Amino acid sequence: MNFANVFARPGLFLTLSVLAVGIAGCGGDSETSSEVSSAEGSGSDSQSPEDGDGGGSSRPSRPSTSERDTPDHASDPVVVSEMTKQSAEEFEQGYKSRLASGQLKSARIPMRSDGPKSLDPIRGSTTYENQCASQTVETLLQYKYLKRPFEYEPLLLTELPQSEDGLTWHFTLKDDVFFHDNACFPGGKGRKITSADVIYSWKRMADIKGANSKVWWLMKDTVKGFDEYKDSQNAAAAFDYDAPVEGFEIVNDREFKVTLRQKSQSFMWKLCMFQTAVVAREAVEKYGERFGLTPVGTGPFIVKEGDWQQGLGIKFSRNPNYHEAYYPAEHMKSDEADDLHLAAGQRLPILDEVQVVFYKTDQPMWLEFKADKLDYAQVPAENFPEAFSKRTRKLKREMKNKGMKGYPVDLLDFIFRGFNMEDKVLGGNSEKAKYLRQAICSALDWDEQNEAFYNGINVIYDGVIPPGLPGYPQGGNSDKAYRGLDLERAKELMARAGYPDGKGMPTIDYYTSRAQNGQEQSEMISTQLSKIGINVQVHLLDFSQLIKKVDEKSAQFFSFAWSSDYPDGENNLALFYGPNEAPGSNHFNYKNAEYDKLYEQIVSMAPSPERDEIYEKMQSMLMEDCPFAGSMARTRFFVVTERMKNFKPVETFENWYKYVDVVK
Amino acid sequence: MSDSSANDSRVLRKFLRHKPAVVASVVIAVYGVVAFVLLVVGVITLPDTLKRVGAELQPGLSSERLPEKRLLDCEWLIDRIASLSERRNPEKALAAFSDMGVRRIADVELDELLNRIDLAWESYDELADIEDVTAAAAGTLDDPDVPPPAEVRSMLTELEKRTDALLEPMTKAEKSTRWFELLLGTDRQGRSIFYRAVYSVRVAILIGLVTALLSVTIGTLAGLAAGYFGGWVDNVVTWFYSTFASIPNIVLLILLAFMFDGGHIDGPINKVTGGLLDRLIGGRLDETLIPVYIAFTATFWIGPCRVVRGETMKIKELEYIQAATVMGFGRARILLRHVLPNVTYLMLINFSLLFIGAIKSEVILSFLGLGVKKGPSWGIMISQSKSEVINSFFWQIGTATTFMFFLVLAFNVLSDALQDVLDPKHV
Amino acid sequence: MWSYLIRRLAYNIPVYFSILLLVMLALRVRDPVFGRLGKNATQEDITALRAELGLDRPFVYQYGDQVRQVVTFTFDEKSWDYDGQTVGEVLRRCIGPSLAITIPALILTSLLSISVSLVSAWFRGRTLDKSLVFVSVLGMSISFLVYIIFGQYFGAYRLNEYLGKDLFAIYYEPSASNATLGEFVTQVWPKYYLLPVMISVIVAMGYDTRFYRAVMVEESSRDYITTATAKGASHGKIMFVHMLKNALIPIITRVVITIPFLITGSFLLERYFGIPGMGNQLLMAVESGDFPIVQSFTAVFAAIYILSNLLTDVLYALVDPRVRLS
Repeated sequence: MNFANVFARPGLFLTLSVLAVGIAGCGGDSETSSEVSSAEGSGSDSQSPEDGDGGGSSRPSRPSTSERDTPDHASDPVVVSEMTKQSAEEFEQGYKSRLASGQLKSARIPMRSDGPKSLDPIRGSTTYENQCASQTVETLLQYKYLKRPFEYEPLLLTELPQSEDGLTWHFTLKDDVFFHDNACFPGGKGRKITSADVIYSWKRMADIKGANSKVWWLMKDTVKGFDEYKDSQNAAAAFDYDAPVEGFEIVNDREFKVTLRQKSQSFMWKLCMFQTAVVAREAVEKYGERFGLTPVGTGPFIVKEGDWQQGLGIKFSRNPNYHEAYYPAEHMKSDEADDLHLAAGQRLPILDEVQVVFYKTDQPMWLEFKADKLDYAQVPAENFPEAFSKRTRKLKREMKNKGMKGYPVDLLDFIFRGFNMEDKVLGGNSEKAKYLRQAICSALDWDEQNEAFYNGINVIYDGVIPPGLPGYPQGGNSDKAYRGLDLERAKELMARAGYPDGKGMPTIDYYTSRAQNGQEQSEMISTQLSKIGINVQVHLLDFSQLIKKVDEKSAQFFSFAWSSDYPDGENNLALFYGPNEAPGSNHFNYKNAEYDKLYEQIVSMAPSPERDEIYEKMQSMLMEDCPFAGSMARTRFFVVTERMKNFKPVETFENWYKYVDVVK
Repeated sequence: MSDSSANDSRVLRKFLRHKPAVVASVVIAVYGVVAFVLLVVGVITLPDTLKRVGAELQPGLSSERLPEKRLLDCEWLIDRIASLSERRNPEKALAAFSDMGVRRIADVELDELLNRIDLAWESYDELADIEDVTAAAAGTLDDPDVPPPAEVRSMLTELEKRTDALLEPMTKAEKSTRWFELLLGTDRQGRSIFYRAVYSVRVAILIGLVTALLSVTIGTLAGLAAGYFGGWVDNVVTWFYSTFASIPNIVLLILLAFMFDGGHIDGPINKVTGGLLDRLIGGRLDETLIPVYIAFTATFWIGPCRVVRGETMKIKELEYIQAATVMGFGRARILLRHVLPNVTYLMLINFSLLFIGAIKSEVILSFLGLGVKKGPSWGIMISQSKSEVINSFFWQIGTATTFMFFLVLAFNVLSDALQDVLDPKHV
Repeated sequence: MWSYLIRRLAYNIPVYFSILLLVMLALRVRDPVFGRLGKNATQEDITALRAELGLDRPFVYQYGDQVRQVVTFTFDEKSWDYDGQTVGEVLRRCIGPSLAITIPALILTSLLSISVSLVSAWFRGRTLDKSLVFVSVLGMSISFLVYIIFGQYFGAYRLNEYLGKDLFAIYYEPSASNATLGEFVTQVWPKYYLLPVMISVIVAMGYDTRFYRAVMVEESSRDYITTATAKGASHGKIMFVHMLKNALIPIITRVVITIPFLITGSFLLERYFGIPGMGNQLLMAVESGDFPIVQSFTAVFAAIYILSNLLTDVLYALVDPRVRLS
């Protein structure tokens, strides 16, 4: 097949798609929310069948293919052309009267960990850090709250970034965004954010000296001159934040331009990631290392000194100077059953305070939820049968009678077993090694794992792209895959690999994390592989050691998981891109020139049927070469109490505190 | 103080008169036999304790299950078999079914099985529509649409019959195995609590025996040497035990467990000794009980060392030892023939006390996720049961506690008796 | 006396430093760098982090730094987990909650078990004594963890359900840490600490009662008691005046010696009830590999242990003129 022909004009796709997003993206934006347009500007190339009726989004939507789609995936988006915005007076009045009566709107929610380590966006990596930081600092773009499949919209910007050529992007900041009031500003009054703040915040990501920034990988190879800036500044005695970067150009206080190294589709998604959030330079310079304790940003909530009890919990208080933002009108049809559309037009944030409680173990969390102390809970796997019916995946009667609602959320997970392609036995591009890997893939029974350890609630699928994203095969099944269980095929492949019935097959070293039931899971894998005559030596490591093993390319066969940074299959396809080899994210050390070329092509491509085709092509190569065996995605189940309103559980983005309400 | 046999038999008689102590010894012996049988004969094996034997959280001793729970258990089984029948290769998947312990799926054609599954679902769906089956069966549900209680009960019986039809009828031998499997109920993963608790006897006895033996041996040797030789030997030993004793017990355990955990120490050990571990245990250190032994011994040897050292210093000053020294007997002979027999009573008492210490510490360590790694133990059972207790399910925690209770109680009584008989002056 | 103290202290210095050494070596069996970097690590990041954590220095320097911190009481090393916070800060905020469990537990356990042991000794050999001894042994034969699990379930969850209001909290509430001293005593402590303290007391009662009873029985067989009895002193007077006074030595020894054990005993309670004490923090630090916290916390625990041992000896001498410190 001739790819060059099909993808001759990637730039065009990019432009069209961006335009399209530009128009649709205004849905949640306060300034233009009453004139949400439908699909006119979208260009005809990117309409997927589902979106064909011109629903609300003109962004090429992703065909939804998961067998177990949550209802919202399957349903139509609803665009409300009129939205009554809550007036500023009413908003203020409401708060004042609550303050006077001592009845502040307050939520109490759990977090299943010992919490974030830092609230500084450039030091965050875990989902817990994401969730806590996302309430206090803000990014230029954000995910639309109710829209599925995911789309982005401007948050600190007046409109989506504009570009003529897909390389140089023009950003315009909103005019009413102020930093939190803080002692670091003259008079303690938060000042208006400027273009310089954005550039400064991004430059901080490059400051890896002293392991300051943990998130450089996000910006690597993205902006023109930025990598050079990073290298020279880290080599210099002191990091100079005022030194110029070729790709950053400040037009005025509200406008700036960014020039990319090459066209990049993921750049916009990165601007939704909390690591790129805008922080105040004054605060960073005043508080230094302690900035991570009480970050100063523009978010709807503030963490005051003493409100973060390390390891215990964190309290967020309403930011009185939050910029004008409203609960979105755009929603999915299915949201109406949960009354998620009723709050449209309410000024944000709705809550006055949010108390997050950290639970290192699930048991007290579930106990407190049952004692009605929490507004929602994620259902721990071991309590799943208590809350949900396995057959229907619906909430049990007992819970329903208390007015609770249950939501399954498919996570953007890629859980797999990986082969080290540089290994003598399992690795390499020889036909025999390939047959061996295919044999192992065919002998592994993911359904059994799912049944035994996850109550069968997870999604098992072929390929590397998680459910709900373009590139995910129809129903999760692809006929190109070697996913098990198919023992006959596995045995035949073993014979072709030169190990009939496992004769002459050396023992495989399998490395996995010592997490919950890691032991039992690996025992199951040993049993499954023993059926085709492969002996497995299991090595249970704790996570840090597992990463180390993999990074050093010394793990022959390992268990790993990747959860998408942004909802685009490209993020997962990058895991097999040659130059990303370990210690980079290509843990498999998979190298395939043809694949790499295709990957380089898709980074700059806008979502389109053509791109979907390349995705499929790339996945087929992976399924044939089998550098991994997979795949599984977790499903998270949420139980939400009656009093918690406007909550649509999601784990892909975390800045949703501002939308929810608690009605006692 | 002398080591005559007349003295020994007097002590023995005194011990035998102590009735609770005799009972305690019998109890310990029973546990020991169970452990031995499991260790050598292997009646209940590790896989037995790990595999499912049925629906989760079933009560033991054939207790009456609530109708709601009966419905759930049927749902679980039908769902399980139905999902197997939807696999790419249903025959194989169904043949491999082992989630009901000894029970197998009915040996019929796939179509017939699918038919039975549909029948069972049909029956299930009727009941699943009822708001609260327990209340409906008792007739306390105030809803005109719900069938009368007698009918609900017969519907439930019918559902169970249809569910049972999915499985092959049991032979007599299978029936008795099945009885044992479900004797004390199942845990949250549907595993047999009885099997797990009994298998854990082996773990407990192993941990107790090895740790207590090692600690007492090391402690006694170090204490004897320190007390008898004095000088720099004494200084070194005291310095050692002061150091170990000054780190709080639990902190030391955690640190040691941290060291062994995840196989970090295996590499260096194998490198230095040329693959010693690989040859000896053929696997990873932290999957065996060795780290637990080492961690406990590191903290437990201090006790016996301290008392033996003190006692040896006292004995050394006694006239007959002095006399023996003057007569030119070798130091080793004096230590072994004259001093050691006089501290054996301390060894016995300490052994008994440390046995208890080891079993109880295992629970704490397992709760912290640092204890036994492979298979069940009472500690693992107790820490796992914390999420079951919330649902008022006490079978697992009750079973593990009871099993552990009698062994520890027996050792407590025995320790007291030994104390009384051998060292009456001790406070 | 002073020279004895100084000698004991001097003897404990090498012991103390070897504890620090032991802990630091045990921790360094593992390389903490990889786990902290996550899935996108580059070689550059690894080197930078190693330098940041001070792990690129020779071990002797790292050890020297730890010794310096302990000797100067600064604890100024940065925690690896808590951005911008020193070990000292973490230590300071953890000590309070730990003491709020241990001190009341120590006092209550001692008072209760001494009283029970007196009753037991009073009725020595009779049914009441026998059943008390038996109950203590029974109590000792059940795991600490079982007490905690049932304590939380019945003492907090079920009781609150029954009362319809929260008497004892199931789990610690983060905002409780911001309470003033007055609020702490009147509201926070009863709600969050009382239940764990009660569990701790119940667990320790068995051991302590048995010990104190043995002491009382031992004392009651001494000559002076016989003399007092011969002189016609009343049973009660003998018991409370003569015996208790003389039993003070072992009692005090026991109380002081239990201090470090109480601290560690509260590890599980803190963990289970989410109380932000030293034990809980130390466990978290071990799990996440926050070496500075583990090292310094262990150093503090060891110091407490050594000092309380020393205190036992001194108290011994002060209370009992028969004991000379030499």
